[in-house]
Amino acid sequence: MPQRRLALAALLPLLGGCYAVLPSAGGGQTAFEPPRRIDAADVAVPAGYRIEAVASGLTFPTNIAFDEAGALHVVESGYSYGEVWTAPRLLRIAADGTAEPVATGGRNGPWTGAVRHGGRWYIAEGGQGEGGRILRQEPDGRLTALVEGLPSLGDHHTDTLALGPDGWLYFGQGTATNSGVVGPDAAEFGWLHRHPDFHDTPCRDVTLSGANFTSHSPLEANRGAMVTTGPYKPYGTPARAGEAVPGRLPCNGAVLRIRPEGGPLELVAWGFRNPFGLAFAPDGALYVTDNAYDERGSRPVFGAGDLLWRVRPGQWHGWPDYSGSERLDDADRFGPPGGPAPPLLLRAPPNIPPAPAARLGVHSSSNGIDFSRSPRFGHVGEAFVAQFGDQAPMTGKVMAPVGYRVVRVDVATGTVHDFAANRGRENGPASWLGGGGLERPLGLRFSPDGDALYIADFGVMTMEGEAPAPRQGTGVVWRVSRTGG
Amino acid sequence: MRAPGLALAALALLSCGSPRRGEPVAPPPRLGAEAQRGEAAFMAWCNECHPRGEAGLGPALNNKPMPGPLIAWQVRHGLGAMPAFPEETLPEPELAALVAYLKALRAGPAP
Repeated sequence: MPQRRLALAALLPLLGGCYAVLPSAGGGQTAFEPPRRIDAADVAVPAGYRIEAVASGLTFPTNIAFDEAGALHVVESGYSYGEVWTAPRLLRIAADGTAEPVATGGRNGPWTGAVRHGGRWYIAEGGQGEGGRILRQEPDGRLTALVEGLPSLGDHHTDTLALGPDGWLYFGQGTATNSGVVGPDAAEFGWLHRHPDFHDTPCRDVTLSGANFTSHSPLEANRGAMVTTGPYKPYGTPARAGEAVPGRLPCNGAVLRIRPEGGPLELVAWGFRNPFGLAFAPDGALYVTDNAYDERGSRPVFGAGDLLWRVRPGQWHGWPDYSGSERLDDADRFGPPGGPAPPLLLRAPPNIPPAPAARLGVHSSSNGIDFSRSPRFGHVGEAFVAQFGDQAPMTGKVMAPVGYRVVRVDVATGTVHDFAANRGRENGPASWLGGGGLERPLGLRFSPDGDALYIADFGVMTMEGEAPAPRQGTGVVWRVSRTGG
Repeated sequence: MRAPGLALAALALLSCGSPRRGEPVAPPPRLGAEAQRGEAAFMAWCNECHPRGEAGLGPALNNKPMPGPLIAWQVRHGLGAMPAFPEETLPEPELAALVAYLKALRAGPAP
């Protein structure tokens, strides 16, 4: 026995060395040969449930919606990382899986969600082209903007929307950058060349610590020159210690709200990074999923998991200096291996961030969220979250594919359970496993009667080196329901 | 010369493989009272990098043939890219419960 323990102790360095020695093994780091194979038998769901594909051939589906009659609709993005532009659309899905356009947008995707209210559709337009908008479809079919010019020209966009119990439309607004500083990674995304002056805007006044970051310019005007950039500044503009940055609306990294009939924008809460998914729990509280920091750019952050928040109105939730309620300047926790901790950007936090409701996988890209309300479906009061999956190595190295599934979360305890995941000895997207199951679950919504969970599966997106390679026409809508009625 | 190479390869596989434990894929592990408390600590501190004990940002935890004291040592002191979790973050009773949970994950579903 002592020898065995000694041998196991000798194993420890090997266990710890896995991360340093092994190459990244993200789920997108694979080849794909069309067509996408679809086989529900390759997806595992708990006993008593079944899963089936109800629509396919979609291009970048991001979310699910229902009209007053309970008819299924799906949102197609119109834009994907990898700089692929198509027409954003809202589609009605017939019982036989065929799709009919209900609304079509221009070159300003990604459309990220839609809700039906008062006989009209409301659509969140991501705004990579011209800035984000919340659209309303008028009776004659025209799309008019309730609000426009939302700061969505960067890494993250205007996120999905939800109708609150108070009758307001709530939506998320992502940040321009990974961690507050415009860096060369913005050029790799593509937007820095289009909008070299774009940067994050705080929702409330902040005072800067004076931290600045240097990088080799990727811009044509001064390519290769060493430039210095501060937080909340355009690329190449440094910050001063003690400098005050005024907050204003619209801002980045926030949950905002607006009346369906229009009117001024209101701040609900801020300090998020990319609050992609919003849903109201049965108790009326607002929950959001928040895509956490990546290990990229001028201020890389290591090991920060995606978060599920119970939104605290008026509160700052930690971005760009905290992960949950933990400060980022802890090198052991958040410094990239062998690198320094990310220095704090703010002289003082606006408030100590609340604790998140749950912590989800690092780079899992936890996005669409909804709550079960039906005892017939089960897990009443639990949150179901769609995990798009990692974009390694662009967002940071992983040792195995992360995400590519739907999880359920007991929001009272923060306990996370798998709910729908591909079969096999390992986890990953179908294209990585060689099967016909889930690729990249992105949005989800329970049917109005609560009996079925619909999942928008974005489709195949591999990584070609550091660049995403999304495949048009590979999106699927899945339905999960109970067996035996 | 071949045997050490094979042994190292076997160790690497042992250290970095990822047996599935998710509810749809396998029945849930049997959790005693201590392991149930440990699940809360796991969700707070470990799940981000090792979702349900599988590999993710870090390696799988649910297939490591490590005795409890070594698990506790690694959690307390960190190793490689894994951070240390000091007592003020993870008090001793919580650490013991976490180790019980990790052992239950490794043992897999109830017979």
